[in-house]
Order: sequence, then C-alpha cells, then structure tokens
Amino acid sequence: MGRPFNPGYILEVLPRLLAFLPVTLGVAAATAVLGTMLGFVLAKAKLGSSALARGLADAYTWVLRCTPSIVLLFLVYYGLPALVKAAFGVDASRWHRAFYVVLTFTLFFAATMSELMRSAYLAVDRGQREAALSHGLSEFQAFRRIVLPQAAVSALPNVATALVALLKEGSLAYTVGLVDLMGQGSLIIARGFGAWSLETYLAAALIYWALTVAIEKAAGALERRLSVGRRGLA
Amino acid sequence: MGLDLDYLARTLLLSLRGLPVTLGLCVATLVVSLPLGFMLAIVGIYRVRVLRKLASVYISFARGTPIVLQILVVYSVLPSLANQVAIRAGWDVDVFALNPLWYAVVVFSFNTTAVLSEIVRSAILTVDRGQYEAALSSGMTSRQAYRRIIVPQALLVALPNLANATINLIKGTSLAFLMAVRDVTAIAKIEAARGYDYVESYLAVFIVYVFVCGATQALFTLIERRLGIYRAPVVAF
Repeated sequence: MGRPFNPGYILEVLPRLLAFLPVTLGVAAATAVLGTMLGFVLAKAKLGSSALARGLADAYTWVLRCTPSIVLLFLVYYGLPALVKAAFGVDASRWHRAFYVVLTFTLFFAATMSELMRSAYLAVDRGQREAALSHGLSEFQAFRRIVLPQAAVSALPNVATALVALLKEGSLAYTVGLVDLMGQGSLIIARGFGAWSLETYLAAALIYWALTVAIEKAAGALERRLSVGRRGLA
Repeated sequence: MGLDLDYLARTLLLSLRGLPVTLGLCVATLVVSLPLGFMLAIVGIYRVRVLRKLASVYISFARGTPIVLQILVVYSVLPSLANQVAIRAGWDVDVFALNPLWYAVVVFSFNTTAVLSEIVRSAILTVDRGQYEAALSSGMTSRQAYRRIIVPQALLVALPNLANATINLIKGTSLAFLMAVRDVTAIAKIEAARGYDYVESYLAVFIVYVFVCGATQALFTLIERRLGIYRAPVVAF
C-alpha cells in the first residue's frame, strides 16, 4: 500500500463494479433455478421408497457438503472439457466460462435445496395430505394446493440463507476468469498494477453486503405475508 | 481421457503434507473465535447498549460478504498496518517475514466469530430461564450458573450447528492459498500448475477434504453422544 487509503476512490469505483452486477445476479439466478430443479429431484429420491435412490441422494448431499467450492469449481472447469472430449469428441474448452460456473454452483445448490425441501416437506403434518386426498383431491392437487404452500413458508428462512451462501460463494467465479462483479474488480486492480486494491475490494464488499441484507429483508417480509394462513382460528 | 492414477496418488500424498496446516489453521481459528463468539452472544442477549449495535453491524458484515473479499481486504491492509505499528512501537520485527498463517488466523477468526456468536446466542436462548433462576436461588453466582448449568445444556443444543460451522471453516480454509499459506489446496494447486495435471490434482484434494469432513462429522457425533448422556431416560425399577 504505497499510497494512503482513499475512501473517495470507493465511490469512484462503485459504478464501474455495479456495471457488472447483472452478470453476478444472472449467474446466481440461473444457478438458483437449475439447482432448485435438481434439488427437487434429489429430495424426491430422499423421500421416495427406493432404498438405492435414497442412498445415492444422501451420499451425493454428503459429499457435496464436504467439498470446498473452489475445489469443485476447478475440477469442473478443468475436468469437464477433458471428459466431454473423451466421451463425445467435442471441444468444450471454448464454451463460455459462465457455463462452468453455473454448473458447479448448481451442483452445490441442489444439495442444499434437497435437504431443505426434505425437511420442509416432513414439517407438514401427514394429516394434511390425507385430509386433502379424502376430500377428493388427486395426489398432485394435494401436493400443489395443500402441502407445498405450507412447506414453502417453513423453508423460506433457510432458502434465504442458501441464496446468500450462493451469492457469496459465487464470488469465486473470478478465479476461472469470469468477468462478473469480482472479476471486474480484479481487472481494475490488475490494470492499475495493484494500486487501489483495498478500495476496490471494499467497494465490492459493500455491494455484496447490500445484496445479502436485501435478500434477508425480502425473505422476512415474504415470510410475514405468507404466514397469514398460520394464524389461529379465533 | 485417461486419469493418471500414479500422479493422483503422488499428489494425494503430497497434499497430505498440507493437512497439519489446514487443521492447525482451523483449530487456531476455533480457539480464537469460540470465546469471542461467546462474548458477542452475551452482548446480544443482555442488550448491552452501544456494544450491541456494533456487534450486530459486525455480524451482518462478516456474514454478508464473501470470505474471498474478507481475505483480500485483510491481506492487502493488515501487513502494512502491522508494519506501521511495529515501527511506531520500535519493535525489531520484520512484519513481512511473518508466517502468512497468522494473517489467515485473523481473517478466518473474523469470519467465524460472527457465525459462532449467532450459534451460541440461539443455543443459550433455548435453555429455560427457570434453570438460571433456580441456579441463582440455590446460591450460585451468575458466573457459576452459566458455567455449571447453562453452558453445558446450551453446548449440547449447539453441537450440530458447531459441526456445520467447523466443516464450513475447513472448507473455507481452502482459500488460504490467496494468502500464500501452503495448505492442502495450495500444494495441489502448485502441483497442478507444474504438470498441467489439473484434474488429478483437484481430485486428490477433493478426496482429502471428503475424508477430513467425514472424520470431523464422526468426531462431533461422538462428542454429542458423550455429552448427551444426561438426556438418556432414567431407568425405572
């Protein structure tokens, strides 16, 4: 740090970082959607009757819980092109970096979501489904109209936590060269030969902080709204 | 693609040499963070005026920003800051020759203290107030009540979350290579760059982490079983 700390530079660099916020949010949103879909499949396997599927889903979740994001990211980024080449003879090394990032974090997010969905589903009383079925609803209708809305409310705080974790871990995408918020930050620092690195990192930290606080506040507000049905009868 | 299994095995053994660094970093971080986290939790529970506000801002920031950024910020400011302090105080130490492990302990403690304080706070709040009052009315001091009655019960409640936090910490330390710490990941990364055998190298660390995580989980299960003995039902005659 050759120069003194200049807080003004934080404000100066903020808009230049914010220009790449859509990339960060886009990657996170794509991951959240795909991860939720895969997570649903896993949760279904965990709650299903097949012991094999249950075992596989549990093992998958356990292994992913133990894997550092950076390790899986590198593994996917370097390993997948070789795998694709060997299997299909296709050159995957030119595919967009965002693809590898989304894939990596989808694998993580699915593991988290499957656990979340499982516990949320189990938190809804069995009688709810049975009552719905005996009212003549089909199995799908009972799930869609009765079980899901209740499970969703109970899962909400954990979903917010999972989204925050996704956003934070996603900041590692810059290590494989994706130019998102963090990537732009390190480019700015590199172009300035390392000057203003502290100010740039702090600016990025402020953006992430604001995003996580926003997610938590939004989830809190949504939870209050959706919990209306939980009030007692009186 | 043909995995080079020999190479994988070699990297595996090599990266195991980083295991003491990874584990040492985790243990040092926990040793620093647990008491700090406990104090922060107490500040939160007893609503100590100004401190409480400060604590909640700190916790929100530490939990709301990526650990990479915390590492990069601290690592770009702490060494020169420490150097300034050393010069002003007239200490004869070369701060820049310091083992980067110390900076890593600072960063990970900064992050983990916030996580632990939340875990401890919610665990203490699960213990019934009556327990505390009963302890006081049996003549214990507040300190004794905490030490003998509250903490043992809260600890048991907190254990699953503590296991989670520890596993997250172990995973988090994989980023210590950013501070030039030679932990498991850093060694594999160096090996990967040397031979362009990225896949084998990262598979090797992947295996190491899965094992370490499994061992950690087993350890916590064991502790939970030990500490939970009092929960066992009384045998009826």
